[in-house]
Amino acid sequence: MSDQFPEQFVRWDTFSSTLWYRTRAARYRLEGTRCTSCGEKFFPPRTGLICPSCHARAMEPYSCAQTGEIVAVALDDLGFPAVGYGDILPRVQAIVRLDDGIHLMVDILQVSDPGEVQPGRRVHMVLRKHKREDTGAWVYGYGFVLEKG
Amino acid sequence: MGKILRRVVMIGGYITPPNVPIDWTWRQMAAEAFWNALQDAGVAVKDVDLVACNYNDRTIADSSPGSQFADALGILPKPVVPIANACAGNGIASYVAWNAIASGRCDVVVSLGFARSDNYDAMESMNSQGNYVDFDYMLGLTHINYGAMRDAYYRNKYHVPLEAAGTWAYWCNWYARRNPLAVNYSKPMPLLDELCADTPEAERDRQATNRGGVSSAMVFVGEDIASRYTEKPVFFDVAYAFRPPYIGNFFHYPVDGMREHDMGELPGLMIAAKEAYKLAGISVSDINVVQVHDLTAYEGMMALEALGLCEFGKAKDYVLSGGMTLESKCPVNTYGGGLAFGHGSAGSDFQIGVLENYWQILGECGERQVRDVRVGVNTSYGTHHSLDVVGVVQKGW
Repeated sequence: MSDQFPEQFVRWDTFSSTLWYRTRAARYRLEGTRCTSCGEKFFPPRTGLICPSCHARAMEPYSCAQTGEIVAVALDDLGFPAVGYGDILPRVQAIVRLDDGIHLMVDILQVSDPGEVQPGRRVHMVLRKHKREDTGAWVYGYGFVLEKG
Repeated sequence: MGKILRRVVMIGGYITPPNVPIDWTWRQMAAEAFWNALQDAGVAVKDVDLVACNYNDRTIADSSPGSQFADALGILPKPVVPIANACAGNGIASYVAWNAIASGRCDVVVSLGFARSDNYDAMESMNSQGNYVDFDYMLGLTHINYGAMRDAYYRNKYHVPLEAAGTWAYWCNWYARRNPLAVNYSKPMPLLDELCADTPEAERDRQATNRGGVSSAMVFVGEDIASRYTEKPVFFDVAYAFRPPYIGNFFHYPVDGMREHDMGELPGLMIAAKEAYKLAGISVSDINVVQVHDLTAYEGMMALEALGLCEFGKAKDYVLSGGMTLESKCPVNTYGGGLAFGHGSAGSDFQIGVLENYWQILGECGERQVRDVRVGVNTSYGTHHSLDVVGVVQKGW
């Protein structure tokens, strides 16, 4: 049994499975929202919220671009094992500007040399396993990898 | 803005020294700051009309903190306004206090803050996941990771050299050795060359040190009754602004005053500063001393730019040309900064800037005293600048 859970199993986690469930669309496929009144796009999604630009309450789902380029980079040698993010170190973190102008802070994955991760490099989204919930179920979500060349 | 009926005067304050005993409960810490601030101001507990109290949500997880605060402070059934809004939440508490007095509803109000972060083991979990939006959209990336990213972005955007960050850290430490309330007060003074090095150790030394459990309080009264308590009134004004907490929004948020900026600037702080200066009737050239809440040296420089003390990207020149020193036209971080005074979160990150400027105006700062201080400005922020606060104190005699 323990072979199936080699990573630390007892962790501090304040979130329930239902919370992870209700936010799955954004994590799985970068689904944000767009204001149908003024056209402003948002990620994370603002479903049911009021637009800060035009003050309408008329958000619709919006599929964010899944490609973009790196804006800034930082390395993290520690990770966050207490809540289940410590198994891939160092973490190469980046601000990514998607091709539709939305910005995210993400992990850059499958990096052999962190020096390759530089502002201006093209990246695309992948779906990855992030961590286990306290129930043992996997939490999936977006990450990014460098485009070839 | 509505009509302001009277100005607000600060008449006393207190902050706990470093290394508060581990066996002090949060109630004891809150009472310690409240009691000593009242003693400093010469105010009796029975004369307090209202307390605005900021607390760290990792200190007390409860749905009814207000009545517990009122009970602990011995002022029950008088009102306490509980506020939990990150490290700078006491800026909001002070805003509540300011409004209560300026409107004429209350005469004597205390702004209080405390943090006993070791109450809960899950602190870091909450740090990561509670601070952002509906869920952990950072997917494990914390505000500490954000800080590293923001520093990298600012450094690259404005070509800020390590020497500027090292010099910032040096002067914070220099002042801390002259401030008995600072965490680094009795520690060996680091060398400038060490602080400017391109090493992980030096990078750590250019970031904040932890103050641990801390509480502090400030006492305010209306201008018309201030003479009952002091012959040296110090006027106090405060303003704050929010910015969306998700990092991506720092590059585009469709609101005037924010859409023009990215992660290399602090527009919330700019907005708060503009309002605070207007309330106080001052301009940047009137400021004699500045205290900023800096968890990294780069962040401190960004704050100077947001306050209007320097143009964007020019704070490095201000620091490298001696702008932080006592000989400067406007010295910076005479309390020691987050880097050397210590990061006190909800317990002190806003109050210590106000208190230091208050003590500077009263001439009580000893070896770190700035000459002829009439106007002091301080900043504080919470959750990576999703809340920015600016306080102004002015000599009133």
